[in-house]
Amino acid sequence: MTTILIDGIAYGMLLFVMASGLAVTLGLMNFVNLAHGAFAMIGGYVTALAMNRLGMPFLLTLPLAFLVPALIGAVAERMLYARLYRRSHLDQVLFSIALVFMAMTAADWLLGSSQMLVTLPGWLQGRFEIAGIGIGRYRAFLIVLCAVLVVALQLVLARTRFGARLRAAVDDQRAARGLGIDVGGIFAATFAMGSGLAGLSGALGIELMGLDPTFPLKIMVYVLIVVTIGGTASLTGPFLAALIIGTADVAGKYYIPELGAFLIYLLMIVLLILRPQGLIAPAR
Amino acid sequence: MADILSIEALRAGHGEAVVIPGLSLALAEGEALAVLGRNGVGKTTLLDSIIGVTRRFGGRLALAGRDITRLPPEARAQAGIGWVPQERNIFRSLTVEENLTATARSGPWTLARIYEMFPRLRERRANMGNQLSGGEQQMLAVGRALMLNPRILLLDEPTEGLAPIIVNELLASIRRIIRDEGMATIIVEQHARKILQVTDRAVILDRGEIVHQAASAALLADPAPLESHLGVIAKGAAA
Ligand SMILES: Nc1ncnc2c1ncn2[C@@H]1O[C@H](COP(=O)(O)OP(=O)(O)OP(=O)(O)O)[C@@H](O)[C@H]1O
Ligand SMILES: [Mg+2]
Repeated sequence: MTTILIDGIAYGMLLFVMASGLAVTLGLMNFVNLAHGAFAMIGGYVTALAMNRLGMPFLLTLPLAFLVPALIGAVAERMLYARLYRRSHLDQVLFSIALVFMAMTAADWLLGSSQMLVTLPGWLQGRFEIAGIGIGRYRAFLIVLCAVLVVALQLVLARTRFGARLRAAVDDQRAARGLGIDVGGIFAATFAMGSGLAGLSGALGIELMGLDPTFPLKIMVYVLIVVTIGGTASLTGPFLAALIIGTADVAGKYYIPELGAFLIYLLMIVLLILRPQGLIAPAR
Repeated sequence: MADILSIEALRAGHGEAVVIPGLSLALAEGEALAVLGRNGVGKTTLLDSIIGVTRRFGGRLALAGRDITRLPPEARAQAGIGWVPQERNIFRSLTVEENLTATARSGPWTLARIYEMFPRLRERRANMGNQLSGGEQQMLAVGRALMLNPRILLLDEPTEGLAPIIVNELLASIRRIIRDEGMATIIVEQHARKILQVTDRAVILDRGEIVHQAASAALLADPAPLESHLGVIAKGAAA
């Protein structure tokens, strides 16, 4: 029971890191980017290929799994996404869903449709016990690392000058520009950061969710549920939602495996009926 | 000495609408100019065109001799234009202090000096931008523009909608910025009499064109042009 809870929390925190970029681009920049999962997949493949083909150690591949998708994200933002900020959400959905399928097809063509496997280093395998409770080492590693990322992200948004300029740009683009803020550059940097976090979570998630070319679609459902239930008014909502979804998913698949992901969708519908404005309502 | 700002045959407006058909204006270093005119004649459009957030159809602008015609607003702000928009546009999800520091550039105007000029902002430093009174918002908008350490300040009706006591307080601060600090300033104001006491020169706009210009002192001595172009005895005459 406790083990399942810990697994659920680890999974939930990973989901949060995966969804955080989407929460920021959707909540702050009001852009619907369904292709967010494609950046997670890129991060996953970077780690898998760096480990399996280049023999790099797992930990060393993680910075790359952040940087490569972040860079691709920055280029995509400037060349593609920036043109769609002023368009309707439907346009954005159609555009980004097309990107998802292109990314999936490209991955399939370049790397094949089979699951990518990675072998975690010995010290991350197996379990250890605290007070008779078995805890997976990798789960504990995920919880700690994701907790650090969550705190860092919150600090960047709330405490740094970059965060303040981003919030200013979101509040009032015209005034922000008239006061010297390079709104385009700030948005590109934010988008890159979100894509990088998605990539990092994709790499961290190989062990839990597997990795194949359908990954962007599979993960899209989860991050959308997290953002829909959590709301985008703050990061607290998506964080709570991710923990709930993660725990429910792990517990559901353990106790009633026949239902599969059914439980998650049921939970989403119930939560949306109870709190249509998200777990944490916007302060307006 | 080169003018700090020069505008040549500016043609600007919004969307397809031309509000300013062709306007030329120059401001000397340290000079304070009042822009007067009835509602809707294009005063805000003029200021917004200087910072660059309107649509420009033609003409040229230069800041201290440097052509800024094709610069986007953020580059103009960084080149030295401090903009106080008519709507104030305080960033509501930033604290008062963040509003001051997020866009600040280094120079003689520091947080300490802004707080010294507007002590109320220091008391409110941790409040969010949307929790301020109108007067506080206006002080913050002025402080925020000063924190950019601009070469020229654009003030769009800074006293609009404020209680008389706050109006006087704010005008005293503006006088300090103009007179003691020698800040080149363009100020749009409804209280013509009061602002003429602070400025060197005034232009009166009608339908986007300058219909009269004179030294502020001359207009104070003979307010006939004010009456004929502004239609009413200029507000603030009693004060
Ligand atoms: N964003 C906009 N889009 C379209 N038209 C606009 C816009 N802003 C102003 N206008 C129009 O441009 C004209 C000039 O407006 P402007 O705000 O420059 O006048 P103003 O002299 O500042 O008036 P006020 O004294 O009321 O502030 C008006 O006819 C107004 O309706
Ligand atoms: Mg106006």
